[in-house]
Amino acid sequence: MTRHTRILMSIIYWAFVAYLFVPLALMVTMGFKDSKFIGFPIRSWTFDWYIAVAQDTQVLAVFGYSMAIAISTTVLSLIIGTWMAAFLGPNTFRGKAIIFALACLPAVIPGIISAIALRIFARLIDIEPGMMAIILGHTVHNVPFVALVVMARLSTQPKSHIEAARDLGADSIVAFFRVTLPYLKPALIGAGIFCMLLSFDDFVRAFFLGGYQPTLPVLIFAKLRSGMSPEINAISTIVLIMTAILGLWAERSMRRLNKGS
Amino acid sequence: MTGEKDTIVHIDNVTKRFGSVVAVDRLDMKIVAGEFVTFLGPSGCGKSTTLRMLGGFETPDEGRIVLDGADVTRQPPNRRDVNMVFQDYALFPHMTVGQNVAFGLELKGKSRAEIDRRTGELLEFLQLSGFRNRTPEQLSGGQRQRVALARALAPDPKLLLLDEPLGALDAKLRGQVQIELKDIQKRTGKTFFFVTHDQEEALTMSDRIVVMNAGRVEQAGTPEDLYFRPESRFVAEFIGETNLIEGTVRGIDRDAIVIDWNGMAVRGAAHGRQPAAGEAVTASLRLENVTCHPKKPTREDAIEGRVVNKLFKGSRTSLDIRIGEGRDTLIRAYMDAGNAASIDDDQLWISWEADRLAVLRD
Repeated sequence: MTRHTRILMSIIYWAFVAYLFVPLALMVTMGFKDSKFIGFPIRSWTFDWYIAVAQDTQVLAVFGYSMAIAISTTVLSLIIGTWMAAFLGPNTFRGKAIIFALACLPAVIPGIISAIALRIFARLIDIEPGMMAIILGHTVHNVPFVALVVMARLSTQPKSHIEAARDLGADSIVAFFRVTLPYLKPALIGAGIFCMLLSFDDFVRAFFLGGYQPTLPVLIFAKLRSGMSPEINAISTIVLIMTAILGLWAERSMRRLNKGS
Repeated sequence: MTGEKDTIVHIDNVTKRFGSVVAVDRLDMKIVAGEFVTFLGPSGCGKSTTLRMLGGFETPDEGRIVLDGADVTRQPPNRRDVNMVFQDYALFPHMTVGQNVAFGLELKGKSRAEIDRRTGELLEFLQLSGFRNRTPEQLSGGQRQRVALARALAPDPKLLLLDEPLGALDAKLRGQVQIELKDIQKRTGKTFFFVTHDQEEALTMSDRIVVMNAGRVEQAGTPEDLYFRPESRFVAEFIGETNLIEGTVRGIDRDAIVIDWNGMAVRGAAHGRQPAAGEAVTASLRLENVTCHPKKPTREDAIEGRVVNKLFKGSRTSLDIRIGEGRDTLIRAYMDAGNAASIDDDQLWISWEADRLAVLRD
């Protein structure tokens, strides 16, 4: 590689990094600006917007609402996804490929199509728009991710582990809970956190399936329509930090657990 | 039922097919309590399928498996008093050594105190006391193998199955573990059902070896029986190194079978089916059963030969000896290195005891 191409390569790399982080940095910075108007120059700094968020009961309630949806979705997705993986993984039967493809479809269907379809379906079976409908919508979307991650992990489990458990007196259910499930732990942690983030982050499904109570992305959207305010920057910064910590922690614990087996 | 008293397992005319392949073909075998029995054979001979049927992981298509008087043919693995040491040990990675060993005891519903006591005993017995709180990942191959053994022994099974448990160990360790395993079997008095393709393992550890080939039993007997008195060509060739001699039966003379081998009359014995006069037969002669004489001996059955190849192997020398001018008349034999040096002009005489030339059934 010549000197020139090397310089060019590093310029392109740093330009990409800047493109990635400058908007985020700007957003974070504006959250500390002591003025309602977003933009430069910044004359004085303040924590007021964060204090405002912390005292905004609507934001806090919506945050709790989104968390409740994310946690419920995650629990449901993990149970259904693991069950699906355990069923589809080891068994071979006619039409397995079709069932598998159908099961994975919700992960790739465009969000808006899926959201409209779910809205119509929810009305048809008399589910009120709101928390329940959003949880069901998010679960349908998340199950394939869980199933794929769990299936990948399951395929690396030696068959002899289950046989050894059976040999030592476990029936197939005890063997699953005492040997297979612990083996799946890193996959479940990873998939679970991914589910939480997907659910927390989702706008389209929450918008179509929600009732009067907005989720956090829907609330931010609503607030944006009434004008940009540094309070939104503060909320976004909090979400950014929380998700980054969660994601990094998940990545770390998954790596540690993977190494341990 | 006094004769039945010592039989712990009866594999009663069992057949197992996988599709059109017959993995085990009408196997009928009794295993005596406290015995170390090895099923030996090449891969695909049916030995592992037999072991898996005893463990409950495969169900026979025909026949029964009787364990301590009870028909367990269709009983799932968790309801049999049989435990297994897996080829890859199959230790549970998320449990400590102690938890692994305790697993079977917990599922048997033993009390906490009882579980702790028995786990401690077994770990001590297998020299693993210091490793109780380690995970399997932190152990060496030999230690993992011992944990697998402790775990399988913990529920006090009537039969212990061992599926090539030494295959994953390096050659140096394997010899040591063979001795340990035999010692553990003796001290516990457990019935060991060992499966291997390694004839050396089988010879060193077993009370009885069952040689399997293509789903059937070729021969069953003590290691000495199989080594010195093989009944079939497969057994003679699979275990150890041997000379195969082809000839025609001339007749029976003073308890020995006289075979015409390229015009020479040689004497042998059949340990299985007795051949008839005039029949074409193959006979096996172990290298160490050939006596080499540097000078013409007085015994009249000594055969003259010529050394065509000499391989120094330390304590002994391996000789390739050409007998006469006929086809297939190369005999390989061992000789003390000192005696081998005293051979003049590569000329020597060989002889053997009649019962050491095993006339085979095929």
